[in-house]
Amino acid sequence: MKRLQKSAASIKEEYSIRKVPLYLILIGLPLGLFVLSLTLGRYQIGPIDVLKVMLSPIFPSIAEGIPDIAIQLILRVRLPRILAALLIGASYGATGTAFQAIFKNPLVDSNILGVTSGAGFGAALALLFFGDQWLVQVSAFVFGLLAVFLSFFGSRLYRSSPLLILTLMGILVGSFFGSLTSLLKYAADPLDSLPAITFWLLGSLNGITWQNLLPLIILTILGLIYLWVLRWRLNILSLGDAEASALGVDPTRMKLGIILFSTLMTAVAVSASGVIGWVGLVIPHAGRLIVGPEHKRLLPVSISLGAAFLMIIDDLARTLLPGEIPLGVLTGLIGVPILVLLMRRSRTGW
Amino acid sequence: MLLEAANISYAYLPGKTVLHDVSLQLNAGETLYVLGKNGCGKTTLLSCLGGLLKPNAGRVFLDSTLIADFSASERAKRIGLIPQMHTPAFAYTVRQMVMMGRAPHLPWLGSPTEKDHLIVEEALEQIGLLELQDRPYTEVSGGEQQLVLIARGLAQKCPILLMDEPTAHLDLSNQHRVMEIVHQLGQQGLSFIISSHEPNDALAYADNVLLLSGGWVTEVGKPQDVLTETLLSSVYDIQTEVIYQHENGAKKARAVLPRRPLVVKPDSLQAEGSFLNKIFKKRIEKPQIILVTGLSGSGKTSWCTQMIKEAVESGHSVEGILSPGIFEGNKKTGIEVIDLTSGERKRLARLREEGRGEISTPRWVFDPNVLDWANQRLQNSTGRDLLIIDELGPLEFLRNKGLLAGLERLDQGQFEVACVVVRSSLLPKALQRWPDAQVVRGQL
Repeated sequence: MKRLQKSAASIKEEYSIRKVPLYLILIGLPLGLFVLSLTLGRYQIGPIDVLKVMLSPIFPSIAEGIPDIAIQLILRVRLPRILAALLIGASYGATGTAFQAIFKNPLVDSNILGVTSGAGFGAALALLFFGDQWLVQVSAFVFGLLAVFLSFFGSRLYRSSPLLILTLMGILVGSFFGSLTSLLKYAADPLDSLPAITFWLLGSLNGITWQNLLPLIILTILGLIYLWVLRWRLNILSLGDAEASALGVDPTRMKLGIILFSTLMTAVAVSASGVIGWVGLVIPHAGRLIVGPEHKRLLPVSISLGAAFLMIIDDLARTLLPGEIPLGVLTGLIGVPILVLLMRRSRTGW
Repeated sequence: MLLEAANISYAYLPGKTVLHDVSLQLNAGETLYVLGKNGCGKTTLLSCLGGLLKPNAGRVFLDSTLIADFSASERAKRIGLIPQMHTPAFAYTVRQMVMMGRAPHLPWLGSPTEKDHLIVEEALEQIGLLELQDRPYTEVSGGEQQLVLIARGLAQKCPILLMDEPTAHLDLSNQHRVMEIVHQLGQQGLSFIISSHEPNDALAYADNVLLLSGGWVTEVGKPQDVLTETLLSSVYDIQTEVIYQHENGAKKARAVLPRRPLVVKPDSLQAEGSFLNKIFKKRIEKPQIILVTGLSGSGKTSWCTQMIKEAVESGHSVEGILSPGIFEGNKKTGIEVIDLTSGERKRLARLREEGRGEISTPRWVFDPNVLDWANQRLQNSTGRDLLIIDELGPLEFLRNKGLLAGLERLDQGQFEVACVVVRSSLLPKALQRWPDAQVVRGQL
C-alpha cells in the first residue's frame, strides 16, 4: 500500500511537471493573441498603449496622451470584435469536442444536428423581409434552435439505434433548411438582399457591437462552464449508452443537457457571426495530438486552441487585404489543409 | 443472497418475447455461467440483471432491494457489466479506461481525485496491468483489453460483475489468462455471471450453469448435473459427447465435444459387427432413424441407392422414395421421384423460370400432383424393414410443405430402420425433431 501511495505521488508529480507549462501556455496563448490582435489593423496602436486603453475605464488618467480616435477604435470596434472571436472560437472548440464524444465520432461538430443551416435560413428570412441587424440575429438564433429541435425529436419517432437516426435526422434537417435558404436567395433582390444574405452566410465579425455581444457573452460562458464541469464524464459517454449506463451514468439525460447547451452556444455564435465552419471539427483533432483523447485534459485544450485559432483567422481577415475576407472562407482555406495534415499525423485511434 | 431474478420476461418489441420466465440466484463468491445458442437471449438476460433493461414481467433483486429502486450510480456501485468487446472511438490509455470505473463513486459534477487514482492503481496492480497503464487501450491485445475491463470492474468496487462473452475472439492462452484471473477473483469473494459459448469453461470454472434455449431456461444447476449429453444436445440442436475422467472412483465430466457424423459405407451392412450391420441385426427395441448428411451434391442419393441394393441382397425389404437428379450433360435440370415399392418414376421438379407462383424453392419448381402422389405412396406402404426418404429439405423443415407424409411417419415411428437424407445445413433442424437419430455421412 505504501509503495502504491508512493507511485501515485510520483505519477502525480510527473503529471504536474508536464501540466504546469501546458496550462500556462493554454491560458497565455489566447491572452497574448488577444492583446496582439488589439494592436493589429489599418490604424497601428502599440501593445503598451493597448494595455493602457484597456485599463482606462478604471484608471482614466492612465490613457493620457493617447489620441481619442485610438481609444474609441479599441473600446468600441476592436475590443468587442476580438472578444467575439475569442468566445466563438472557444465555443466551437468546446462544443466540437463534446459532440465528437457523445456521437462517438471524430468527424462531427455541433453543426451535425442542423443548427447552422437553420440559423442561415433564419438570417436569410430576416434579411429578406426586415433587414434589421438585431432581428436578423434573433431570427437566426430561433431558427437554429428550431432545426436542432426538429432533428432531435424527429429521431425520437424511431425506436432503435437513436444515435445513427439522430445523425441522419440532423443531416436531413440541415439539407432541408439549406434548400429553404436557396429558395430565399432565388427570390431575393439581386442588388440588395441577395448580397446581404450571401455575405451573412460567408461569416464575418464585422458588425459586432457591445449590444449584440451581450447574449454571446452570457450564453457562451454559461455553456463553457457546463461543459467544463462535465468534461471527465464525456469519456464515459463516448463509450456508448450501454456502457455509460452500466457505469452509473444516465446517458440520455446527460446527452440531452450537452446537446441543449451546445446548441444554445452554437446558435448564439452563428447568429452573431454568420456561418463559420471547420473550427469545431479541426480544433479537437489538434487538441488530441497535444494531450491525447482524454476529455478532462482535451476540453481545456480545445477551448484555448479554438479561441486562439479564430482570433488568428479574424486578424488575417482584417489585415490580409484592404477589404475584409469572409471568415467562413478563411476557416475553410486554412482549416481543411490543417485537418488533412492532422489526419495524416494522428495515430490510428485518433 | 446478492442477486436474485424472479420470473423475468423481456420483449424488445410487443409480442416478440426474447426472455421467458427466467429465475436465478447468485450468492457471494459464486460464478454462474449462462450457456446457449446465438440469439437465445444471453445478452438480454445480462442487461436485465444489470438493470440496463427493465423486464416486462418479474423482478430483479439486488441486495434484497428491487434493482429499479436504485439510482443509476447506486446500482453501479453494486453491480458491474462488462459488455462484449468493442473498439472505443477514442484511444484512451489503459489507466484512463480503468479510471472510468470510478464514475459511480464520484459526485456527478466531479472529476477523479487522488483517492481514485490510488484505487485505480490497486486494480491495475491486482490484475497485473501496471506496466501497460499508459498504453492506448486500442493497441493492447484482445486478452489484455478484457483484463482492462475487469480491472475497471474492480475499480468500480462492485461485488457482482456480469461479463458478456469474455473469451470470444481470444486465443487459447488469452482465454486461459482471463478465466484464471476471473476464477481467482471469485475465490476472493467476487461474484460473476458470465455468458459464454464455451461449455468447457463452464465445466472448469462455474459453480452453477444456466442453460438458455430460445429465451427459456432449459436447466439450471451444478455443471456436473447440467452439462449432460442430453441437455446440451437439446440446447444446441447438435449431438454432443461428454468426455469423463475417473478421479478417486468418481466420474467427472471434463470436456464437451460436438459429435461428428459417422462415416459409413453402405456395403458395411453385410459386414459382421459394422455400424449398419448392428442396427439391422438388433431388430430392434425401437425404430432407428439414420440421418444421411452431406453438402448438396455430395452423393447422398447415390449412397442411398447403394444401400438399397445391399439391403435387398441381404434379404431386407425396402420402401419409401428416392429423388435423384435429372441431368442434361453435366447440368442438373430436374428432380425425379421414384417409389421404391412399385418402382414407378415421375418428374417432381424442374428448374425455375421467372415469374411463376407455384410451390417452389429459389431454384426448383415442384409439381404438386407428383408431390401428392409421393405422399400417398409414403402413407400407404407400411411396416417393412427399411424406409428410405430422400430427401427432407427446406420445403419440409422450414415451410411445412413437400413430403409431409414422410415427416409424419418418422414422427410416429412407423418404420423399423429409416434412412433419411438431410443436407448438412438442415441437420440441426432434423436433430431438433429427432434427437436420438444417428448421424452418418455416406461414403461409397
